[in-house]
Amino acid sequence: MTQPAVREHTKTTNWVGKSIRRIEDPKFLKGKGGYIADHVLPSMLHAALVKSPYAHARITHIDVSEAQALPGVVAVITGGEAASLCDPLPDFGPDPSKHTWRLLAVDKVRYVGEGVVAVVAESRYVAEDAASLVVVDYEALPPIVDPEEALKPGSPLVHDALGSNVAYERTFTFGDVDAAFAEADHVFEDRLHWRRSGSQPIEPVGAIASYDTGTGMMTIWENSLSFTSYLFMLAGTLKIPSNKLDVHPVPAGGSFGSKLWAVKPAAIAGMLSKATGRPVQYMEDRHDALANNDHQGSDRIYRVKLGVKRDGTMTGLKLHAIEDYGAYIQFGLGHHGNALAQVTGPYRIAAVEYGLQAVLTNKNQQGAYRGFGSEVNNWMLERMVDLAARELGMDRREIRRKNFIQPDQFPYFIPTGNVYDSGDYELVLDKTLDLGRWEHWQAEKLRLRQEGRHIGLGLVSCQERSVFSATEFWFWFDKPGAPVTSMPESVTLDVDALGNITATLYSCAFWGNSPETMTAQLVAEEFDVDPASVSVVYAGTSQGLPATGPGGSRFTVMIAGAIEGASKKIKDKAFKIAAHQLEVSVEDLEWKDNGIEVKGSPGARKTLGEVAIMAHLFKHSLPDEIESGLEASQVHDHPYTTLPSNDRKDLGVFYPFMGHACHVAVVEVDPETGKVDFLDYAAVHDCGTMVNPRSLEGHIIGGTAQGIGTALHEEFVYDENGDFQSGTFLNYLIPTSMDVPEIKCGHHETPSPWTPYGIKGGGEGGRMMAPGAIFSAIDDALEPFGVRMRVLPATPERIVEAIEEAAGA
Amino acid sequence: MKSAPFEYHAAATLAEALSLKHDLGGDARVLAGGQSLIPLMHFRLATPAALVDINPVAELDYVRRANGHVVIGARTRQATMLQSEMAASAAPLLVEAVGWVGHAQIRHRGTVAGSVAHADPSAEIPTAVLALGGEMVCRSVAGERVVPAAEFFEGPFTTAVADDEILTEVRVAVWPEGTGAAWMELSRIYHGFPVVGVGALVHLSDGVVDRASVALCGMAATPVLAPAVADVLAGNEPNARVIAEAAEAAVSDLEPPGDIHGSTTYRKKVGRVYVRRALAAAVENAGGFR
Amino acid sequence: MTAVRQITVSVNGQTFERAVDPRLALVDFLRDQLGLTGTHIGCEQGVCGACTVLVDGTSVLSCLMLAVQADGSEVSTVEGLASGLELHPLQEAFWEKQGLQCGFCTPGMLMRAKEILDHDPDPTSETVREAIAGNLCRCTGYQFIVESILDAAERIRVGSNA
Repeated sequence: MTQPAVREHTKTTNWVGKSIRRIEDPKFLKGKGGYIADHVLPSMLHAALVKSPYAHARITHIDVSEAQALPGVVAVITGGEAASLCDPLPDFGPDPSKHTWRLLAVDKVRYVGEGVVAVVAESRYVAEDAASLVVVDYEALPPIVDPEEALKPGSPLVHDALGSNVAYERTFTFGDVDAAFAEADHVFEDRLHWRRSGSQPIEPVGAIASYDTGTGMMTIWENSLSFTSYLFMLAGTLKIPSNKLDVHPVPAGGSFGSKLWAVKPAAIAGMLSKATGRPVQYMEDRHDALANNDHQGSDRIYRVKLGVKRDGTMTGLKLHAIEDYGAYIQFGLGHHGNALAQVTGPYRIAAVEYGLQAVLTNKNQQGAYRGFGSEVNNWMLERMVDLAARELGMDRREIRRKNFIQPDQFPYFIPTGNVYDSGDYELVLDKTLDLGRWEHWQAEKLRLRQEGRHIGLGLVSCQERSVFSATEFWFWFDKPGAPVTSMPESVTLDVDALGNITATLYSCAFWGNSPETMTAQLVAEEFDVDPASVSVVYAGTSQGLPATGPGGSRFTVMIAGAIEGASKKIKDKAFKIAAHQLEVSVEDLEWKDNGIEVKGSPGARKTLGEVAIMAHLFKHSLPDEIESGLEASQVHDHPYTTLPSNDRKDLGVFYPFMGHACHVAVVEVDPETGKVDFLDYAAVHDCGTMVNPRSLEGHIIGGTAQGIGTALHEEFVYDENGDFQSGTFLNYLIPTSMDVPEIKCGHHETPSPWTPYGIKGGGEGGRMMAPGAIFSAIDDALEPFGVRMRVLPATPERIVEAIEEAAGA
Repeated sequence: MKSAPFEYHAAATLAEALSLKHDLGGDARVLAGGQSLIPLMHFRLATPAALVDINPVAELDYVRRANGHVVIGARTRQATMLQSEMAASAAPLLVEAVGWVGHAQIRHRGTVAGSVAHADPSAEIPTAVLALGGEMVCRSVAGERVVPAAEFFEGPFTTAVADDEILTEVRVAVWPEGTGAAWMELSRIYHGFPVVGVGALVHLSDGVVDRASVALCGMAATPVLAPAVADVLAGNEPNARVIAEAAEAAVSDLEPPGDIHGSTTYRKKVGRVYVRRALAAAVENAGGFR
Repeated sequence: MTAVRQITVSVNGQTFERAVDPRLALVDFLRDQLGLTGTHIGCEQGVCGACTVLVDGTSVLSCLMLAVQADGSEVSTVEGLASGLELHPLQEAFWEKQGLQCGFCTPGMLMRAKEILDHDPDPTSETVREAIAGNLCRCTGYQFIVESILDAAERIRVGSNA
């Protein structure tokens, strides 16, 4: 694919850019959200899982007799039985046959919380009663918890079939790395460790499956299955024909990535419905969601070298990452594909060496979490830039300015081959420094230091890639086993006889983002209608067009392309009808104010409604080639992807719409306890043209709050025996209203030259910047102690330890 | 996460509750606010055969002053405690500690005595009661026993209440005029369980400490008193040096069990810091440091 | 099996008589027996606040209260906030200020906010922020929720002066 044509964004907009009230909200405000747990089908059963208390153990015997005998219990299914009822779960990992992932464990368990037996009963209460009666005998095996230990020869194996614990290993070079480091006057090195956290939306994942034994049709309602193009894989797991699976999206009570493709709950419900012949609901409870949700976030150890000239110019980056994937690796190396999209950040760094070892251990596996691995790269890179500034005695602002890609250099290709479409990084930096009152806090810091207080200012300049293409999931392999393709998004627009418009969406699009509002605003922009008048509905997949849903900050950009295409089709038809009615040629007409009029004759016009009623009811008054109705669909494919080179020295374009943000955090650290308090926080984002600024700001603030959790509080802890220590919300600490400061938000708009209206994605931003800004601020506050924080989250204890270490050094 | 089945008994009166407890013994748990017990039941970490619900027992809903104590009935909600002006002036340490418990919804249901009976070694209320010098009234059909706070907490989630007894009343001593009190805690998240919490009381006469008490949570298997603090402070003007010495003495013999929120070393370190800060605040509240 | 108990509960002004298993949590009673699914289950351990309802005017976590304990009580849930088609000022304000994203914490947040404003019709942003600390929201970072509650307070004040 070649570079798309450059769009001129000159037209003034009526609805794009307006902070209208969201279309989605009334039902939620009234308590009529229709979430998955709210749905009840006649004779529906409820499922609960027996979960492993062991990190690593062989299952020697399972006795379900007592459970089965309990009144109200309909079926008890062991992992072994499940393995004959179902094939393995869909897996985009390096070699699924060597780390096979199933909906229940067979023969051995690989993490605390892994499902072993499923129980189905008349109520969730009874299902849990029965689950507690299942007796599973285990033979404990030595657990593998530390990923660096797991690499050592002779380490116990998570998957015997793999023969080691390394699921993937390769080093890539992009650009002339040796030359870049030869040019450097200094090479700054560090070891940085980002420990795992996860999104934990307040609503867990759930699914209801209903298998019709008469027709063989499996209908599943779920809050977490987008990727409608890939649902044939779920059909494969359930051993049903792909055209006998119909998945209906249900609003998700938060996702942040974790409901991108949560396929296991759907498969469990599906299997149990097929086994019992009755509808079955499987709803994760909080413990399931914490221990067994397959969506823990990145867990990464970096060894990094940054080559820098004396004047602060960055020349090259070498990194080696050990990624602790947990017991399975469902999304393959996508987390690092995300990182490679923006590995050099907003800076002109000419060459990169990227080494990756994907390690398997006895933990719940990784999934997606807001940033999908790119947020870790942002944190690492900004940590290194801060290190270079400190070592060179440079101002943290100046070293960034010195290395920024300049506005006239776009489109800019980074060494990995990905392209950045547009940006103005220095301007965003300046705005943020202003908003965050950098000079004021700098003075305050010095003043308060005299009083023995430790104030710190933190700063990051980071990228937010948007709109992924699937190459990032397969360019890892010379011969991709499961190449995935364009990741399209689709819409159907239907103008009814009265001119009212319905938009049909084809993915599980609502996660707390605003797909209906975005759709309504974009449709309103095309047809000059009030967005509140646009009806937005969701199709089940059996009636569906290809769609991918949200994820990788793609939905708004992609649906905008689909709506643009579908609107054009409708308008083309409407123009033909209007031309016939007005007895002029199509070329003499123009679209104006919800209608079509003769150029230069404002009175000679047909409204969309007038055209629509003709199209619907008076086909025989129209030219023969015009069919009844006024609807159109558009499948919008990824607008700009290029293939990787065969030698993988160039990965091609795969994440081209590049947002950017700068965050300034001001904190006070109590060096005696390690407690961190916020004094100020400013975030300026450039996500291209904004569709609904208020919604975008909500995402930035909410994402920043999550970033605060990631940076300071949240961690899934597995102890040295692999015992899971974070199975409750008392141990997995989500920030409350009092742990998050007021965030001052600013915006800049550099339109993308390649998308409708110049929109870029912006759903993940806050969390991709905040950790770096906070770490930068903590270091600054503790500068008198010489502290540099290298492990995330920076818990109070880790901060106190870092102070002691620095004092000892 | 649903509770296992249990027999449910709502007691209308204390007599009825005692008789139920007499009949059911250790298989029955008393249900007061339920804010600690019910989560444990949801996780099936607690599976009592029966619950004796004392929420209907109106006679146990009181907070009043009697015989040099503030006395609190077993059904008294934490929120009620926070509204008592009498308690705020007679036992400010306890009221301050109650204010740190959970969030509003928890305090609306949770009871003062229920938290004492639950005996979580990280919890605020048992620690404040211990610092103040409290006593617990344990009743059975046979009569009542009064157990001093120092003997009440036997281990994590374990107390002196016998199987046929109900903790019916919590009493805390009213400290004399001239006492300063301070509750301080370090939690990793706002109003989460404290990693370390400290209740401090200092009484000054003529600028010299003549009585002091400190108790800590998160520092042992039970809330603990730090008697060494009074030894160090007594007879001294409470300056920074003496307070630091007292804080050191308070934690030097403790070996707090570590968990993911704080290791033994860290708890000891911040325990010392928090005793120091709480003592300084208590001294200031007592009118010292002028 | 344990004996079921007959209870009478008023929910949003309507009286319900039902037989319940004593172990049934109030939130499950509201959702499963009365079909009032606006009250959500988030953690079942008293941390997230999603299940907040008012019992006799006071906010409680309906996951940590048994349905049998609500016998004789008046329960208010999100379904009772609006008057017919007319949204409550809190609902209007949350809509206007985008005080929600996924909407899952919203019913509990609204009920807690109602209680806050019932007690303090003119709160500051600091008091509101503190008062909602028992209701976790994973989407918004709380800022627009605080703005929404302040906006609702103003709507109610203006409305009651009119």
